[in-house]
Amino acid sequence: MALKLLRLSAIMLMAGLIGATLMRIAPGFTADEQQLNSSLSAQSLQALRQARLANADLARFYLHYLGGLAHGDLGISQSLNQPVRQLLRERLPATLRSLAIALILAWILGLALAAAARLSGSRAFTLTADGVSGLFISTPAAVLALVFVVLRWPPALAAGLLIFPKIYRYCYNLLQQSYELPHILTARAKGAGQWRVLAWHVAPTAMPQLLALVGVSISIAIGVLLPIEVICDVPGIGQLAWQAAEARDLPLLVNLTLTVTFLTVCATTLSDVARQGFIREAA
Amino acid sequence: MKNVRIAAIAVLVVAMGAALGANYIAPASYEQQFRESPSASPSAQHLLGTDDLGRDRFARLLHGARVSLVLAPLAAAISTVLAAFFGGMAGYFGGWMERWALTVVDLFLSIPWLFLLISVRAVLPLNISPQASVVVTFLLLGFLGWAASARIICAGTRDMMKSEFVALARATGFSGVKLVRLHVLPNLRGTLLAQFWISVPVFIITEANLSALGLGVSEPLPSLGSLLRELQNVVTLRPEPWIFVPLAVLIVVVSCFQILLNRLSMERSSSERTSIERPGAPA
Repeated sequence: MALKLLRLSAIMLMAGLIGATLMRIAPGFTADEQQLNSSLSAQSLQALRQARLANADLARFYLHYLGGLAHGDLGISQSLNQPVRQLLRERLPATLRSLAIALILAWILGLALAAAARLSGSRAFTLTADGVSGLFISTPAAVLALVFVVLRWPPALAAGLLIFPKIYRYCYNLLQQSYELPHILTARAKGAGQWRVLAWHVAPTAMPQLLALVGVSISIAIGVLLPIEVICDVPGIGQLAWQAAEARDLPLLVNLTLTVTFLTVCATTLSDVARQGFIREAA
Repeated sequence: MKNVRIAAIAVLVVAMGAALGANYIAPASYEQQFRESPSASPSAQHLLGTDDLGRDRFARLLHGARVSLVLAPLAAAISTVLAAFFGGMAGYFGGWMERWALTVVDLFLSIPWLFLLISVRAVLPLNISPQASVVVTFLLLGFLGWAASARIICAGTRDMMKSEFVALARATGFSGVKLVRLHVLPNLRGTLLAQFWISVPVFIITEANLSALGLGVSEPLPSLGSLLRELQNVVTLRPEPWIFVPLAVLIVVVSCFQILLNRLSMERSSSERTSIERPGAPA
């Protein structure tokens, strides 16, 4: 467990460093849109350049950042002029709420469709389910978000519809493989009912992989929510990341990368622990 | 199902042909303005009408398709080469090399790369040319999207290194580059191709999301994604059906890739089952 925590911390810190490094080496890092503002005086422009150069030394920036982080100080957003910690506290609940709704919807839809397609054995139903999931998998999140803006539907539902195809396809393939296992074929041959086979034989077999998919689906959901929050004007961290990117706000972007990496790593670690616990229990 | 696959291949061939021949098929350049007829409805002169700036939509669609359909495979090739290098090295050498490589892979998988992508894309120079912006966008996709493929390639290489035919090759004196070139790489070809084809639609959709957020391909250069920005007018103005043509093209193209990928994954899962039934046979 201690090793896992250490690995988790190392991954997060490395993620922040990679984010900061990539941004720093990007050729336009020292430029600021404000420099194009003709109403600013030479002194103001010089001050802007100095502010940018303060973050130019990556090692110094990151060490300074880690020092602050150790004291719970995440720095100040350059563009919004507010403490990053406060911004995260304000924005995170909206994202977490959307994340929860989207994941619940996606899992219910994905699992239900996969189970129905497998249990019904109807080719027409499977083709329809494949078609629906294919349509959503091929639709950019930004476009579906626009549709939801026009229809005034909750944006979290759009995220759910975009995540569900991945869950549906994985679950359907998993069920197909599980139903071909010898002990399940034996149970069916002995006359066990469809639901009994599903609940007593297939579900325990597929559970470890489904638990692993829970972690992955959270990571997918975070990526999907970013454009949806921007288009649907949801005040979450996806929208904040976009605003920070537009304003080239390095402290905010590094912190957002760290926060989202933290969420992702926590989710995958928890699902991994649950999966291992389930395998131990089953053994 | 076979007919659907043939139709999907035909659609992709037509789309690719039209995209590559954009210079000859398109009635005008993608940036040529017809100032006397902005926001024109479809006519014999402008098959899909013109946009707000008087540019021919059909010409922009063809050139946009060329950008997406040529550069997404290039980005997929970059990510597949990176994945083959890191995943292959990890699987080939095993031990501490594999552990380190997989930690790096986990690190990249933990970072939500859409966040990283918008961050890096946002700090490009303000005066970057459209051509450079499109190249940088797809290069970033290629360099940031290799991790998931690397894990699969690592597992494939690891299994292959334990197989009988590699043991036989080693016993007959093959090692190092020769072993990789003559035995490992040819047998990994299926996995590498699968990872390549999986990446192409993912990159097309990601570019579409980035462009819809204004962080992808810069104006006036079109891409399938940047053409979707016009859809934002649907919210405020009366909907015009021809505005949706780029979206329809995008969905059809990505769906065709998905149909072919489904077939590929079915073939792979059946070959994996065969290899499980016949232990020792190379996958």
